[in-house]
Amino acid sequence: MDDMTSSSRAGWISGITVTVVLFVLPVFLGQLGKTGEYWIWVSTEMIIMALFAMSLNLILGFGGMVSFGHAAFFGVGAYTVALLMKKADFPLYLALTAAPLVAAITAAIVGWFCVRLLGLYFSILTLAFGQLLFMIVFQWYTFTGGDDGLHGVPRPEILGPINYYWLCLILFVICFLIIRMIVNSSFGLSIKTIRENMERAKFIGINVRRYQLLNFIIAGAFAGLAGGMLCELNRFAQTEFLHWSKSAEPILASLVGGIYSLAGPAIGSSILIFLKIFLQQVHRSMVEVWAIVLGVLLLVVVLFAPQGLVGLYQNIFKKSQS
Amino acid sequence: MTWQLFVFMLINGLCQGMLLFIIASGLSLVFGVLRVINFAHGSLYMIGAFLAYSLSTIFAGESLMGFLILLMVVPPAIAIIGFVLEVSLFRRVYREEHLLQLLLTYALVLILDDLVRVIWGGEPRSVTRPDLLAGSVDIFGMALPSYNVFILVVGPLIAFGLWFLLYRTRTGNIIRAAVSYPDTLGALGVNVSWVMTSTFMLGCWLAGFGGVLTAGLSNIDLGMGMQTIIECFAVVVIGGLGSVGGALLGSLIIGTGLTFFQLPFGRWALVFPYALMALVLVVRPWGFFGKPER
Amino acid sequence: MEHGKCRVLLALVLVLFSATLLVSSNASAADVIKLGFIADVSGIGAPFYKSQKAGLDMFIEEINAAGGVQGKKLELVVRDSQLKPDIGANQARELILSEKCEFLVGPTSSAVALATTKVAKEFKKIIFFHTSNSEALTTTAFQPYMFQVVPNTGIEGRGMAVVLSKKPYKKYCLIGPDYAYGHEQLNSFKSEMAKRRPDVEILDTIWVKLGESNFSTFIPTLMAKKPEAIDAAFWGGQLSAFIKQAKPYGVLKEAPVSSLFDLDMLRATGPDMPEGLTGYARAPFYAIDTPQMKVFVKKYYDKYKEWPADWAIMAYDGMIALTEAMKKANSTESEQVVKVLGGLKFNSLRGERYIRAEDHMANVGIYSGVTAKSPDYKEFLIMKDVQAVPAEEVWLPVAEVQKLQSEQK
Repeated sequence: MDDMTSSSRAGWISGITVTVVLFVLPVFLGQLGKTGEYWIWVSTEMIIMALFAMSLNLILGFGGMVSFGHAAFFGVGAYTVALLMKKADFPLYLALTAAPLVAAITAAIVGWFCVRLLGLYFSILTLAFGQLLFMIVFQWYTFTGGDDGLHGVPRPEILGPINYYWLCLILFVICFLIIRMIVNSSFGLSIKTIRENMERAKFIGINVRRYQLLNFIIAGAFAGLAGGMLCELNRFAQTEFLHWSKSAEPILASLVGGIYSLAGPAIGSSILIFLKIFLQQVHRSMVEVWAIVLGVLLLVVVLFAPQGLVGLYQNIFKKSQS
Repeated sequence: MTWQLFVFMLINGLCQGMLLFIIASGLSLVFGVLRVINFAHGSLYMIGAFLAYSLSTIFAGESLMGFLILLMVVPPAIAIIGFVLEVSLFRRVYREEHLLQLLLTYALVLILDDLVRVIWGGEPRSVTRPDLLAGSVDIFGMALPSYNVFILVVGPLIAFGLWFLLYRTRTGNIIRAAVSYPDTLGALGVNVSWVMTSTFMLGCWLAGFGGVLTAGLSNIDLGMGMQTIIECFAVVVIGGLGSVGGALLGSLIIGTGLTFFQLPFGRWALVFPYALMALVLVVRPWGFFGKPER
Repeated sequence: MEHGKCRVLLALVLVLFSATLLVSSNASAADVIKLGFIADVSGIGAPFYKSQKAGLDMFIEEINAAGGVQGKKLELVVRDSQLKPDIGANQARELILSEKCEFLVGPTSSAVALATTKVAKEFKKIIFFHTSNSEALTTTAFQPYMFQVVPNTGIEGRGMAVVLSKKPYKKYCLIGPDYAYGHEQLNSFKSEMAKRRPDVEILDTIWVKLGESNFSTFIPTLMAKKPEAIDAAFWGGQLSAFIKQAKPYGVLKEAPVSSLFDLDMLRATGPDMPEGLTGYARAPFYAIDTPQMKVFVKKYYDKYKEWPADWAIMAYDGMIALTEAMKKANSTESEQVVKVLGGLKFNSLRGERYIRAEDHMANVGIYSGVTAKSPDYKEFLIMKDVQAVPAEEVWLPVAEVQKLQSEQK
């Protein structure tokens, strides 16, 4: 922290390197035929889920509030895209614009109630609203397809697997930069102040509820965009997208990656998805015990490295230097 | 609706509520003392149900005696699992943030649920109801399964037992003190960690008991833990986090609500628990019987 | 700034990534035909899966012993979609791209089937359905790479309406699982019943989540409506749970329940199954009198020490049709095989059947009967007085199929 300029320059350099590598990646993968296409698809999913995890971390890491209903906005985004494209023949760009907007509106309504509560009660209310939305989508069979989900969302001709990967990557980079800007802005600092000491934040004149609500809405919007992108990737929207167990995914990813860093959740999310598919490729029976692997990994993080992998790395890094 | 039908539906709903109460009261009790929302409560309940299934295949499940043995053997077994979990894991996170506590219990959900899949496979199972409880009881010309009546009898017994334990014994006094004044209790020379362990075991005992009862009522399968834990959250929130009396009220509201609303609202009846849960949290976050915190 | 610290992690990810590519890219071999089986292994479909797998395994074993198809051995790759459409769709993609499966075999759940057929269409791979039977697969969601060897929801729903319209009941309650299968089945039943018996009244339709097995909050509503008969679109574990729970409520005494009484469900319900209920099955081995069925049943019993359920028979039939098409097309590639599928005749265990060219639906009907005890089978009830309702009597006419297909999006 004390050496801002050099570390931020190193950050830019590594960020640009990673981005360039990610941009070139599908060109190589494209050479590998079907296997390559499969991995392009997996990589696209990683990018999308990374965005989902980062969106949650605005509330979780920077805001210090544990939301167990974040998947609701992810799902609302997905259903917005699916319904607009399937039933109203919207083009993709309009549907993908609408997804974060609808999610933001939903988040505004839900958040208005939720930010009134603190700590555990906030978590439970987000869980309650999340399940309520899940149930509504589940029961509204004629509109949302209920348990069947909405499958066969159209895909524009030009968006082959590689092009869609690039589209997602571009959207991700843009969102990453926006989130970075938000976090480093005076708004972001206020959010962090509220997390550290709410009384102090109130004392220096920060309107705690309004800031938290705004943060909640922004996070919901990004989650909605991620949901819309996943919907178009898989070409379906499913009720499971809103389920509370889906809300747990970005929390796990954030925790594994590190909740107090910007890129941590994205990395954590990618590692988890990758690990799952890696184990599955090594041996098929690993799919059966994947939840056990994930659970044990989570236990280890909770008990021994609550700062996440990024924190762990930072600790080792610091120790080796001193 | 005739009044006979009303009474019938009420009784049927109360049966559902009682089953829910047995499971949810454990969750509420554990929260009250340990201040941890235990997501894994649903998994322990599921393990109880599957254990009951396995044991029922060993000794004849169709005699009432066999079933009562299940009810006596399985809940303590779950309590022992709870003991191991509390001593080895939960204890380490009492002083940590809520997030880490929730995630610890969620990690347990992932592990325990998958273990059930590995041990018992993905097939749904059930325990044959004992002969004595397989028939039905006549209520104004409508038949109510005797098994449901059995739950309706057992539920209040458990509720009474809990009340007696909490309000009429020394242990209960200590547990209630641990809810209200956790800090002063240690200063008074009470072994607080022992109180926590035994409360946690009691919670698990209740989860196991609910599991056995469910195994006789319907199919048991891998999703039951995840589904029930959310219903239990609804119950506990409506009644008030940490309050056993509240859990009783909450579960009876949800049990009867689900039965009654099915008739006029059909599919939308299932939205009711979550809508009520959200409503209560918005209007009165500490629930009907809870106390406002901090 | 923090992601500067993440470089090592990212490098690690990339190394693992390329390692995985190596592992996965040399997985395919040229001399096998891979069949990707998207199966509902866990949940209420678990017994169905066991039967399906047994039927497929037996067929593959036999044909491989006889030298395979065009010198290539068949190999089955199984995935568990857990009755969830999203998981099924992703697995279909994984099977095609990563496992290099040339053909797909469908699951138990119709919702999963409707999801996976879209993936099969995207990648132009044949998918055949032997258990999941949504009629939409052949109409509004039709795609040429799909074919179906199981009586679909339309054939079943209308078939049951044909059977039940001859009974005196006038007041029905319908109850079913809240997903594609349940909705299609009960809607077909309703519309056909309205045509045949305008005097029949449908009092209520109750929707229960697929897999939900606690009916305590639903049955009182069923009782309050006082129907004369109940048509239930449940299947498997959910149906046996429904019957077991409805019994002590006295529902079965007041109103007989009609539903899908397949062998696995009859086995699971055992002595709890009431006698005298009218129902149907898709392929009851005990009632189909063809020489090939007799041979099959014997082989099956010798191998597995149990009787073949409907699912084993239909999965086996699907394989007969698929390999027949491969032989006819003289190819083991989906793109070629699909050309001969329309109109293909094949000698199924249920007798001579063909695949209708317009909707890739095999002319398979249902078998309706009344549950009864049988001296031959001690552990379970079977259906007696079995009547076949042939597909031709109740499937959608070609004109209607084409009209529905043109409405497709």
